[in-house]
Parts: sequence; structure tokens; C-alpha cells
Amino acid sequence: MSKLSFRARALDAAKPLPIYRGKDMPDLNDCVSINRAVPQMPTGMEKEEESEHHLQRAISAQQVFREKKESMVIPVPEAESNVNYYNRLYKGEFKQPKQFIHIQPFNLDNEQPDYDMDSEDETLLNRLNRKMEIKPLQFEIMIDRLEKASSNQLVTLQEAKLLLNEDDYLIKAVYDYWVRKRKNCRGPSLIPQIKQEKRDGSTNNDPYVAFRRRTEKMQTRKNRKNDEASYEKMLKLRREFSRAITILEMIKRREKTKRELLHLTLEVVEKRYHLGDYGGEILNEVKINRSDKELYATPATLHNGNHHKVQECKTKHPHHLSLKEEASDVVRQKKKYPKKPKAEALITSQQPTPETLPVINKSDIKQYDFHSSDEDEFPQVPSPVSEPEEENDPDGPCAFRRRAGCQYYAPRLDQANHSFENSELADLDKLRYRHCLTTLTVPRRCIGFARRRIGRGGRVIMDRISTEHDPVLKQIDPEMLNGFSSSSQTIDFSSNFTRTNASNKHCENRLSLSEILSNIRSCRLQCFQPRLLNLQDSDSEECTSRKSGQTVNNKRVSAASVALLNTSKNGISVTGGITEEQFQTHQQQLVQMQRQQLAQLQQKQQSQHSSQQTHPKAQGSSTSDCMSKTLDSASAHFAASAVVSAPVPSRGEVAKEQNTGHNNINGVVQPSGTSKTLYSTNMALSSSPGISAVQLVRTVGHTTTNHLIPALCTSSPQTLPMNNSCLTNAVHLNNVSVVSPVNVHINTRTSAPSPTALKLATVAASMDRVPKVTPSSAISSIARENHEPERLGLNGIAETTVAMEVT
Amino acid sequence: MAEVVSPVPGAGRREPGEVGRTRGPPVADPGAALSPQGEIIEGCRLPVLRRNQDNEDEWPLAEILSVKDISGRKLFYVHYIDFNKRLDEWVTHERLDLKKIQFPKKEAKTPTKNGLPGSRPGSPEREVRKTLDLSLQPASAQASGKTLPIPVQITLRFNLPKEREAIPGGEPDQPLSSSSCLQPNHRSTKRKVEVVSPATPVPSETAPASVFPQNGSARRAVAAQPGRKRKSNCLGTDEDSQDSSDGIPSAPRMTGSLVSDRSHDDIVTRMKNIECIELGRHRLKPWYFSPYPQELTTLPVLYLCEFCLKYGRSLKCLQRHLTKCDLRHPPGNEIYRKGTISFFEIDGRKNKSYSQNLCLLAKCFLDHKTLYYDTDPFLFYVMTEYDCKGFHIVGYFSKEKESTEDYNVACILTLPPYQRRGYGKLLIEFSYELSKVEGKTGTPEKPLSDLGLLSYRSYWSQTILEILMGLKSESGERPQITINEISEITSIKKEDVISTLQYLNLINYYKGQYILTLSEDIVDGHERAMLKRLLRIDSKCLHFTPKDWSKRGKW
Repeated sequence: MSKLSFRARALDAAKPLPIYRGKDMPDLNDCVSINRAVPQMPTGMEKEEESEHHLQRAISAQQVFREKKESMVIPVPEAESNVNYYNRLYKGEFKQPKQFIHIQPFNLDNEQPDYDMDSEDETLLNRLNRKMEIKPLQFEIMIDRLEKASSNQLVTLQEAKLLLNEDDYLIKAVYDYWVRKRKNCRGPSLIPQIKQEKRDGSTNNDPYVAFRRRTEKMQTRKNRKNDEASYEKMLKLRREFSRAITILEMIKRREKTKRELLHLTLEVVEKRYHLGDYGGEILNEVKINRSDKELYATPATLHNGNHHKVQECKTKHPHHLSLKEEASDVVRQKKKYPKKPKAEALITSQQPTPETLPVINKSDIKQYDFHSSDEDEFPQVPSPVSEPEEENDPDGPCAFRRRAGCQYYAPRLDQANHSFENSELADLDKLRYRHCLTTLTVPRRCIGFARRRIGRGGRVIMDRISTEHDPVLKQIDPEMLNGFSSSSQTIDFSSNFTRTNASNKHCENRLSLSEILSNIRSCRLQCFQPRLLNLQDSDSEECTSRKSGQTVNNKRVSAASVALLNTSKNGISVTGGITEEQFQTHQQQLVQMQRQQLAQLQQKQQSQHSSQQTHPKAQGSSTSDCMSKTLDSASAHFAASAVVSAPVPSRGEVAKEQNTGHNNINGVVQPSGTSKTLYSTNMALSSSPGISAVQLVRTVGHTTTNHLIPALCTSSPQTLPMNNSCLTNAVHLNNVSVVSPVNVHINTRTSAPSPTALKLATVAASMDRVPKVTPSSAISSIARENHEPERLGLNGIAETTVAMEVT
Repeated sequence: MAEVVSPVPGAGRREPGEVGRTRGPPVADPGAALSPQGEIIEGCRLPVLRRNQDNEDEWPLAEILSVKDISGRKLFYVHYIDFNKRLDEWVTHERLDLKKIQFPKKEAKTPTKNGLPGSRPGSPEREVRKTLDLSLQPASAQASGKTLPIPVQITLRFNLPKEREAIPGGEPDQPLSSSSCLQPNHRSTKRKVEVVSPATPVPSETAPASVFPQNGSARRAVAAQPGRKRKSNCLGTDEDSQDSSDGIPSAPRMTGSLVSDRSHDDIVTRMKNIECIELGRHRLKPWYFSPYPQELTTLPVLYLCEFCLKYGRSLKCLQRHLTKCDLRHPPGNEIYRKGTISFFEIDGRKNKSYSQNLCLLAKCFLDHKTLYYDTDPFLFYVMTEYDCKGFHIVGYFSKEKESTEDYNVACILTLPPYQRRGYGKLLIEFSYELSKVEGKTGTPEKPLSDLGLLSYRSYWSQTILEILMGLKSESGERPQITINEISEITSIKKEDVISTLQYLNLINYYKGQYILTLSEDIVDGHERAMLKRLLRIDSKCLHFTPKDWSKRGKW
């Protein structure tokens, strides 16, 4: 030992070790203990156990004797192998197959019950067997099912009967037995089972819980080759996901741009409509000059270089420019929004009601505008409300999409302006929406109720419906039938509508047929009659006067508008299908916009007493027929002036900020009160035909407008940001229907007596067309969403507002 | 008397010094004052009569783990200190030597964290609960007496009184810091060492002071040792491992099959819970706890189906089960057959119920096996012996489908009736045959049990000696071989080869190089052993294609 003056080298596993045996062996004294050089390997045992007495004894015995001695064996508890009943228990023999045993993976599951009968069960079975036959296996299956259907809660007898396909008496007997046994059983189940882990971790240390699932991720192995590959796959996945995000974002941008384009186009069409540019003359005229403006307009509105949009923009913008100085540049108008409004916002917010009216309306416009001025124009038009609004686009994938090269016309404003005091007629209106009194031009006669559709190739198809009044109706002189009438009996009012109009309805008296007829005569209820259309050229100056409205009579609808209306009607009457929905929503948009403009104008109108005064005069002097025209003219005027006022967006902006900023709660409450007064007025007027009625309505409108419109406007912005599509829809529909271009009105004339009702009917009808949003559901959804009773007042507001705007 | 009684649970917290004093009397005058059943509580230590293999009576020191009262008669569950837990048993008080009883020191210090205390089976310390009366669930209620059988020392050492006097002074100063935790650990280990091998030097000055105070923490420290793998021989490393795992009631690691969690040291798991298992012709007395459904633990006999290993409450249940169970072999594919010996491969994921039943049975005989997690990542190789009734299970080993640590065996067991007949070595041999087919070296998962260590050492020794003795000298040269070559030939992991060579004392340093020396008695011993080793694996009878589990989704 002492010879070793140097440290032994480490043992090298790769180095050959010579083997010395027997006689070759060197004297061990010459060898050096390697204990220092080669670390002692651990035994691999627990330290404490390593020192156990028997083990140590055994180890030392082995060391000494090189083999185990009997007495040095580690003692273990005894095991016996003398179960004498073994052969009785394990019956039969099993012959070893020659082939290796190979088990089929799915052979293991046999449908044997897990429950094994015990001797207690056997006693029961013997007892039961006196009355009926029951086999042990059958019993086990029953218990097994009962057990497996029960958790902590035992199944009931009823459930047991469903579970077990046995005779009722047997089930009862076994069930009762099982319940008893189960209650006495100490375990959780009669089928002994390993305790399961609980997900809450409370059993983490329970020694009786075993075989927990390995929920955590397995450790990644250092040496696994596929780690690299999977890492690369993950990278690739990430790349592709981010690409998808980019694409989606681009799509979002594109769609926003599209929407903006749509709105601009709408504006153009609308303004062209008010200008009377039905033939496109003005448009063409402007097109010639557009080259100047083109450079300017295009970049401002178009962001993704979509060509057909560019084209459209080019065609539209010039038109705007030609309209008026104020409306000279729609694009610029938008840009101005953020700048001007703020200064005026403060002012307007403090102003009394008349002043705030337009502001609030403007907010609607604003809100509407947000659609088009979102991301891309964001720097120009900060639009806080727009984001939620956008995400909640009610149209979704079915949104109306304009086609390139297609000209769309704005709806006739006069549709919305029909004033009805008689809400029952409004109800009728709903039916009339589909089926209205129709007169044929050739031969000239009234054919009763019919619905007009546009068939293939533009053919007009009349769908007739028979009513009990047909005989009467057919006798009606088509000439004297300028309007439309229907009997309440023929109409099945939609329940939802009656509900929203509950306040109205119970006050209504049903009109008898004779009354209707008299109404028809006196009020010239609207009725469909094919008409020749006169082109009407009107410029903005004409609009401000009542000229345009007056000149437009029932028969003088411009061809262009008819075409438009036909198309729209077609869209509506085609049931089912996306186009209808698209159209509907599109119309809603249009309508809303118009309404907003109207409201704006109304406010403006207030300040311009002169113009207002002219209207009453005109209406007063004119026949009832003329009256509706007057309304038309008024609306046309409003529209025109809306355009004019648009460049002065400050109010709208203010309103928007007002509404978004401090939701005007009073606004909601206020209208409900006013609406009631209005209603009563309307009701009083409802049956009175003629001019007086018209005037009354008008005056009522005058007096209440101030209150109602702000109310409406405040309420709608409140609801809109809620991002509920239903709600939005409902609001839109309610508000919008005022101006609703719903085709029913196309050629009909609004009769004085029941403007509100007509509006409401329109609302109902138009809503009816939107499959999911019926008025009641919409309203109830509003109520549900808000849990504010005041919201219900919204409907009333909408109705009254309709009446207002008519004036 | 009164003093003796005081340490019982609920007596409240005591100053260490006080405790020491109260303990004094019993030691001085043990038997006289005791009324036998009254004061024997969990944690007491005293000599207990047991009969050894030679049928001689011994009085090894034992610890009372639990007390139960059966029809007026008290039974005591005793763990014989420095004997394997498998020998723990219920004894009547007649077998207790009350004269030498040592009462547990009441743990006044650290309460156990997580309620997961635990000492290793062999360790004298018990779980200590500070607030015994409040918290305990019935199952562990017995454990409530917190106890440190300090007296171990007392009996072992002769300077007892002095030590005790030293305690009061030293103890209060001991903070509950990690250092104190570590220290007890040292102590407990050393104490054992002292008992078993007196040669181990013990720093006697420090011993007494450190022993008494940190009972609880000592136990904690032991328990805190996380994985068996991380354990090293030196006590110092326990500190690190303790830090890493302390206070985290985390689930045990998910690889491997052997226990490394502290819950294992729960008092519940320290005690056998099944009295007897009937399996085929055999009646087995379980060695350790096994998580069979708790309601079955009270049965005198648990009846297992010999082939599917399903457990039943009664013989009648088993009878009924056998009418429905037509298995006559383990439900897997036979991959080896020679003579009556067959091996079946069972996928722990595909055949869960059998795998679980097998694990439950195996747990009765494997102390360190954990059943914490499911059996999915394991394959089970069941060795059977055929007779006309079918393929009877003899033993099995489990194996991870993918082992990160070169384990080729997770758990390995020869059922008690077949033990000491060469089946264990056959199982081991088979496991290495599989590794050879896989072209890998392997090693059994640690920790090994005592029997496991003996078996593996024996197998390794015989296998390596077989190779060494088979080497022929070529062209007059002395035969030589590298450790790596041995490892490759046998699939025994290099470390195991080295440890075996060391254990056999074959490696010597001679003339500047390492040599292997095969002495006569080694050769003789080997030859004699090989004569007795009749059961061998014939690799030609193995039909086994290893699967690359890493290419599958999850095992």
C-alpha cells in the first residue's frame, strides 16, 4: 500500500483491463487499493434502508461466503400456497396454444358487469327466485347499471326503471335492496373502485388516490430529435398566423373603404335625387369638369386603390360639387368634422332646446358617418363611437354591396313624409305593404288588393288577394281613387306591432268600410296605380321653394325613381334570400341618413320661419292631395338644405360629443311625455280628414318637434353605442321609418288623417321583412338589453318623431 | 406517573427542558409505574418480542406506530427499528417490554408543513403534529402523538443523564432554520449508523443537543429529500435537495415508477393496510401499504382473480367473477416462451385495468413504488408459469416506454410465493435481454430495495464474472476487456459494471494500471452459484420488436 507514492489514475472505462487469474495473480499486497481512485458507487438504495439489519447481514454474508446462506436471507412475511379449493374455484383447464398468445386490442372489453354478487345478494336472489326467475348475471347487471348511473346521488326508482329493462316488481325489489345495501356500504360504491382524484387538488396527498392523470406537459427531452423539427413547425405556424392577421386586417380596411364608398355614393345619389337629376344630366355635366377635382377627391376617399370604386367616386363627386357651394366637396366636409365641431360644441350644448336639436341630429349623422370614416380617416375624424359600431355591423356578411357601374337612387323622401294620424290605418299599412289597392291603367279599373312585383325582365307582376271588400272595391272609380284604403278586417295585424303601439291602439276605433271609402275619397288614400312618369328637373333653388313638392303629384314620379323603386320593391318582395336582407339594411341606412338630414333641416327650419310659413300656406291652400305633396316638398327642401348644412358640421359634432360624453338621460324620459301628448292629438285628428287634419298635424308637429326630436336623437345615440345589432336595428327601424322608402309608398300618397299610423305601419312592415328583427322582438331586446324601462319609451318616441318630421 | 402521561397528545406545548425532565422518570423507573395499556402511545419505543428466522426470540427495539382496540384488547402496530418495514406487525401488549419503554418527545417546534410529514420507514422519527387535537382526520389520528423517541439514544448511550441535562440549555437556542433542519438530519442518520455499525464515528458532544430539539425538523428533513435520484451519499447534499423541494406540496415527478414524494411518508402509508391477499393458490401477506379501495382494507382477506387481478370482497364475489372472466393469461401479447415460462407484454395505456390491478398488487410488496400517476407511460412484462389451469403470474417488471435516464426497469417484483427460486434473476435477465434487443444499456430505476439490491448485485456479479471467465487468452496474451465492452455485451450500464467490479473487489491497481483479478474463491463462488442458476433466459425464444415510442404521440 505504501508503495503508492502517486495517485492512481482515474478508472477509464474505455481502457482495457487485463485479467489475472489464479496462478497469474499478483500478490494482492502488491496491489493498491483503488478506493481512493475510484469513487465508491452508490448502491442505489435509500440511505436509511441501506443500513437495515438484515440487509447488512446478508451483504456481509455474501462478502464472506460468496454465496447466500440460508440463515442470512432477508426475512419476509410468509406466503402460503395451499388454497385447497383452488381447483373448484378455477374450473376447467386451459391448453397452452402452440403459437404465442396474441391478444386483440379490442377483445378485452366484454360487456360483463363489473359487479360481483356476494353471499348477501345470493340470499336475496334465492328469495326472489321463489316468485320469479332471476339469474345471478341478470342481478349483477342490474346492480351494475344502478351503480354506474349513481354518483353520490342514488338514482331514483323512476330512473332505475328507465335504466333497467325488467319487470317492475323485480326492479322495485332489487332497487330497494340496492338502496339499502348501498346505504350500509362503507365505500362510495358497491363496486369497489380505486379512489379517483379530484380536480381541485384536494386529493393530491390522499394516499388512497391512485393513477392520477398526468395532466402536466411531459418534460421536453433533451435528446429528442424531433424537438428541432417541432420548433420549426411552431415557427412556421406563427408566421402563417401572423400572415393571416395581416390579410384580415387588409380585408377589414378594404371593407371599410367599401362602406365609405357606399356612403358617399349614397350621398351623391341622394343629392342627385333632390336636385332632380334623375337622368344623370347633372352628373354627366359634372363629369366633364371632374378632371379638376379628381385629383383631390380620389385620394381623399379611396385608400386601397380598388378600381371600380375609384370609378364610382369619380362619377359621384363631381355631382356633389355641382350642387352647391356648401355641398361643394363632400370629402372636404368630412374632414372638417373634427375641426369645426369642437368649437361649436360647447356653445350648442349650452343652448336651449331649439338650438340643440340639430346638434343631436347631427350626432346621428356622425354616428352614421363613422362607418365610412373609420380607420383610414381616423386622423381626420376622430370617431370614438365608431369602433364598437363597426364591430357590430348589423348587416354582417349580408351587407349590401354596391355593384360597380350601377347607379343607385335615393328613396323618395315623400314616402316618409306621409302623415297619418290614424294608427289603425297604419296597421293596415302593414298589409298594404304587400297588398294595396291597385288600379290598372289599362283597362282603367280598380282590381282590389294586389301586390306588385317586378318579374324577370322588369315585367310588373300583380299578385292579387281577395278580400271581402272586393266587390266594393271593384266598383270604386279608379279616378277618384288616388289613395289607398283597406279594411281592418282583412288585415292580420302583427301582434308585435300592436304591442308597441298599445297606447295608440286601444284608443282607436276601427273604421268601417264606408269610412274608409270616405277617407279614400276625401283623403285620397294611396293606392297603386301605374303611372307615367315625368321627369322633373329641379335644382336646389326649386327645392327650397315648395315648387318641387307641389309639382310632384302622384302621377308624376320620375322614371328614374320608378326604376329605382321597382328594383327596391323587387328586392323586398322576393322572400327569403340574402338580397332582401341586404336591401333592407341598405334601405335602413339610406333612410336613417335621410332622417337625420331631415331632422337637421327641421331644426334649421325653425330658425327660418319664413320657409315654414310658406309651407303651411301651401298646404292650407292645396287639396289634401297637395298636402302630401307639400310634405314632400318640405322634405325635399330639408334634404337639400341638409346638404347645405352638412358642411357646417359643428352641431352634429357637438351633439355627438354630447351624447357620447354625457348621455342625456333626460332626453329619454322627456320624449315619452311628449309623445303621449302628440298621440292624443293625433288620435283626435285621426278620423278627421282633409286639410284641417293636415294642418293640425302640422301644428302639432310644430309644437312638439322641439321636444321630440332631441329626445329621439339623444336616445338613439345612447342605444347605438351599445353594439347590439338587434338594438341598432330596432332603433334604426323605428326612427328611420319616418323617411322609409319602403316601396309600398312608391306611388301612393300619404293621406293626412293618419300619418303616424302610417309610419308605424311602415316600420312594422319593413321590420317584418327583416326576418329576425320584428318590432316587438327588437324592442323587447332593447328592454332586455338595457333593463331600463325607459327604453320602451323609445318606441313611442320613434313614432312621435315620425309625426314630427312629417311636418 | 403523571409525568409519564404528560407527553400524550393534547398535553400542549412544552418547553424542551420540561419534556426532558418528564421523560426522566420512566427511564429511571420504567415498568413499575406503568399501567400497561394506558400510556403506550404512538411514538413510544420499546423492545418488542419477535421470533427470528432461526426461531429464536429477540427483543429488538420497536416503535409503536399505531394502537387499536379490538374487543377490549389493545393491539400495537410496531415497526422494528432497523428492520425493514415489511416486518412491521400488530402485536399484543404481552410482547412489549414495558420496562424499557421510551416515550416520544413531544414536538414543540416545527409543525409539519403541508401536513406531509413523514419519515422514511426505517427512520425512528415520527410525524409530529403540533396541534394534534384539532386537525386530524381519522386516518391519521393515530399519528397524533408527536414523538420523538429520543430514548433511542438513551438506551444506546451510557451517559444518558448528562446528555439530558445538556438538552435544556442547547435546545431553546436552536432556531428553526435550515441549519437546524439539516442538523437533525445528520443526527438521525448517524444515530442509525451508530446502532448498526458502531464503527461509525459519532461526534458525541453535539449529538445530544441536536437530537432532542429538532425532532420534528429532523423528520422533516428526512422527508424533504426529494427524489431518490438526487440523493447522494453524503448528507450534505440533503440541504440542497431540501431547499429545492421544501414547502412545495407539489405532485411527484411524472416519470418513473418509484416514489419520491413525501406523501409516501404519511403515517397511513407507513402501515400495511391489507391483511391478506388470496391470489390463485396463494395467500400472500402484504408487506406494505397499497391503495386498494379503502373499504376493502378491513377485510380479513382480499380475493384477487389470479388472471385479471381484479379484487373482490369475498370468495363468493370471486366465484361470481370467475364465471365472467375467461382470462387464463395476462391480457397481453406473449413475447417469450420457454418451457413453462412465458413473458407477456402489457401496455399500460391500452390495458389500464389490468395494469392498475397489477400495480396495486405489486405495491403490496414494493415499498417505494408509487401509484400516484396512471400507468400510461409504462409497459408491463409479466412472467408467468404455465400449468393446466393457465398462465400463472410469477412476477413482473415494468418499464418506461421512454426513459430519460436509461432505466430499463421501473419496478420489478417476484411474488412472494416464488421468491428465492431464481425467478427474480430471470426477470432481471429478461430485462437486459430486452435492452440488448433495443441496443441500449440500462439500469433499474432507483431506489433499489434491499432485496432488489441483492438480486441485482447478484445478477450483475454473475453476468460479469461469466464474461470475464469466458475470456480466452489470445496468442498467449493475457485476456483483457474494457468496462465499456462489458457494458455493451451485457447491456448493463457502465456505472453498474464498475460498482459490481468494485463490490467484488476485482479491480486492483497494479504496476501503474488497473487490472481485474479473479481470485480462486471468486471463481469457485461463481461456479457454485451458476450451478444453482438453472433458470435462464434463452434469447432465441424472445420474439420482441422494440417500438420507438418517441415517434408516437404520447406513449
